[in-house]
Amino acid sequence: MRISVGDASLTSILRRQGAFLKDEVQRASTEVVTGKQSDLGAALRGDFSPLLAIDASLSRLTAYHSTTQDAAFQAQAMQASMATLTSLSGEISATLMRSIDFPTPAQVNTAAADARGRLATAVGVLNAQTGGRAVFAGVETGRAPLGSAEDLLSALQTAATGATTAGQVESAVRGWFADPLGYAAFYQGGAGLSPIAIAPGETADLSVTAMDPAIQETLTGFAMAALLDRGVLAGDHEARAELAHRAGLTLHVSQDQRTVLAARIGTVEAQIDAAKTRNTAEDSALKILRSDVGSVDPYEAASRLQTVQAQLESLYLITSRVSRLSLTEYIR
Amino acid sequence: MSITSALSSALSGLSATSRQAEILSSNVANATTPGYARREVQLSAAVLAGTGQGVAVTSVSRDIDQYLLNERRYAQSGDADRSLRSTFLGKVEQAIGTPDTPGSLGARLAAFDRSLVEASARPDAQARLATVATTARSLAAGLATATADIQQSRATADRQIAAEVVALNTALSQVQDLNTQLRSFTGAGRDVSALLDKRQQLIDGIAAIVPIREVARESNQIALFTTGGASLLEGKAVQFGFSATGTITPEMTQALGGLSGLEINGRPIATAGSASPILGGRLGALFAVRDDLAVTAQGKLDAVARDLVERFSASGLDPTLAPGDPGLFTDQGAAFLPANEAGLAGRIRMNAAADPAQGGALYRLRDGLAATSEGPPGNASLLGALHDALSGPRALTSTGFTAGTRSFADLAADLLSDSSGLRLGADAETSYTAARLTALTDLEDQNGIDTDQEMQMLLVIEKNYAANAKVIQTVNDMIDILIRLGA
Repeated sequence: MRISVGDASLTSILRRQGAFLKDEVQRASTEVVTGKQSDLGAALRGDFSPLLAIDASLSRLTAYHSTTQDAAFQAQAMQASMATLTSLSGEISATLMRSIDFPTPAQVNTAAADARGRLATAVGVLNAQTGGRAVFAGVETGRAPLGSAEDLLSALQTAATGATTAGQVESAVRGWFADPLGYAAFYQGGAGLSPIAIAPGETADLSVTAMDPAIQETLTGFAMAALLDRGVLAGDHEARAELAHRAGLTLHVSQDQRTVLAARIGTVEAQIDAAKTRNTAEDSALKILRSDVGSVDPYEAASRLQTVQAQLESLYLITSRVSRLSLTEYIR
Repeated sequence: MSITSALSSALSGLSATSRQAEILSSNVANATTPGYARREVQLSAAVLAGTGQGVAVTSVSRDIDQYLLNERRYAQSGDADRSLRSTFLGKVEQAIGTPDTPGSLGARLAAFDRSLVEASARPDAQARLATVATTARSLAAGLATATADIQQSRATADRQIAAEVVALNTALSQVQDLNTQLRSFTGAGRDVSALLDKRQQLIDGIAAIVPIREVARESNQIALFTTGGASLLEGKAVQFGFSATGTITPEMTQALGGLSGLEINGRPIATAGSASPILGGRLGALFAVRDDLAVTAQGKLDAVARDLVERFSASGLDPTLAPGDPGLFTDQGAAFLPANEAGLAGRIRMNAAADPAQGGALYRLRDGLAATSEGPPGNASLLGALHDALSGPRALTSTGFTAGTRSFADLAADLLSDSSGLRLGADAETSYTAARLTALTDLEDQNGIDTDQEMQMLLVIEKNYAANAKVIQTVNDMIDILIRLGA
């Protein structure tokens, strides 16, 4: 039977335990300081799919944060333009409708001149660029959707050549707006914008362009009145008053269509707002989940550090005591 | 007559105790020398002409537990094997990157995904298209970096195999020399303990490289075999042959050519599989890393790269491309061919047509890779389609993962989970083999030099020496008395 224990045995045991405890101290203290698992793979038992899915969702929510802003900006710009068009037409449509009762041609002329100015403003509003891109030009965001108001009127004047009654002028104007070689050719923009992704699986449709019937109808109304200012039906006071009346009527009717369009854009705005709120909520929920999955419990890590520290101190004590236990010390 | 015998007995006692003191001092001096086995002086009563005549030193024995030694060597091989494998698998996991490391494949992919969503909301914004290009490049670079890491590990393993083979050949020839010396010294009856220690140390070194069995032969000779059955030393040492390869590319394997196998005395031997005689130690693990683990890991990475390339080169995705044209990601600029899957992850590049860093134009991300001029700036249909192609489910065309349809993000997650799972499995095995080695090493250490015990022996030796000296003094006195009687 062996009755001795080699010196190396004790030293190597103490050394190994010291190394092990120091490693534990390092791990625990890193976890306390960073709040992260020192070995994420082991903590997740090798299955990273949930954590990566959370990270991917969080990253995509950052993207949606910026796309909802873009969409909201676009919708707001459209809404503002619609409001301007409404106020432009609202003020003059009543005046124009009353024009049948105007006793003098001068009053019709004044209203026509006013309409011509308002047409220029309306075209300007539709051509306006916000944030560096045209709002009503569809995918052709780089250029204005329409030419100048004067070009529009010139084209219409050509179309209405030979018309002698208010009804003929109106049908010529409407015919031009409906003609693929008329207004559709005058429109310089492209197809409507593709729907913008604003939340996971959700898109906002902001494809309104200057080709929208509500806008066409508004322009038709302004244009009919403005043509009077260009000398259409010159000399025939009654026909001119009749045309002014029809223009006022058209503007009046277009009001309903604009309201429907504004409501449609408003719905999209509401949808964007709701998506924003939902995205924020989802972001917080995912962040909480992320910290549950990928982080350590700081209390647990700190108490583990405390325990290991106490163990390491005991080991130091044992090492110093044991190394003094040597027969050599006593046989002098 | 008997007085003279008493004197010579006492003298033999003196010389025996001196010899004991000598051996003891050697034990104490080597208390911490690794591979030193405790020596003990074997005594017996000297017999001269049939009667007792003092004490005689018969031999100096080495205190060795051969069974424990073999067990420890075997554990040492197993530990070297397992820890090498788990270190490599850990490197693969790091190369792919866990979600908490910046620059991980998952983070690069998430950034690319995000940039596509953002760009499709404002396709006219130059900055957002530039981000798509940057993140696409970064995703390709992530795959290339992981490939480089894995191939670097293969090259390192190849170099280490060469170094281990040199060490093995050197150690075996040294053991052969020691065997020769031991034969002649043993024949001459000299103390061979130091040579035996030296040989044991050499064999310990060999045992870490390949697991071995030591078979004792007469007059302190040994023969060495690997546990797989190859003879390493039977009188004459065998010669291992291996030639290192300078540069290793993913396409090169031992089976397909380009990488060296292992030879024993010029005969090629298997380095993997049940027929291989060298498995179970560091050498076997290095071959496993170079020819199996790294190749498998690279295969999975290539499968992921191929899925990425194919997602963006699907026909109908980009209307400007003709069938067979490379998509957003290319095989070093050219279209990907299924025959070239090996190493694709290292060659994947972003299509130069849309990459400003390679002389391309950003608008092609929006208008089509083969577009000749800029289209409507607000057109987001292609960018949206690219995002759908990335995030939509797709059936996997390569092997290496379980079949089925998944999004690219799911595939990347599978890649990481898979490599992490392998690493954890290897870690568990490593901790088992390490614990076994520790336990056996502890047992061996317990059999080592105990200085307390040696000091105790020293006290005994001192006492014996004093007693023998006292006997001599007394005998001297007795002889003096006899001489005075005659005077």
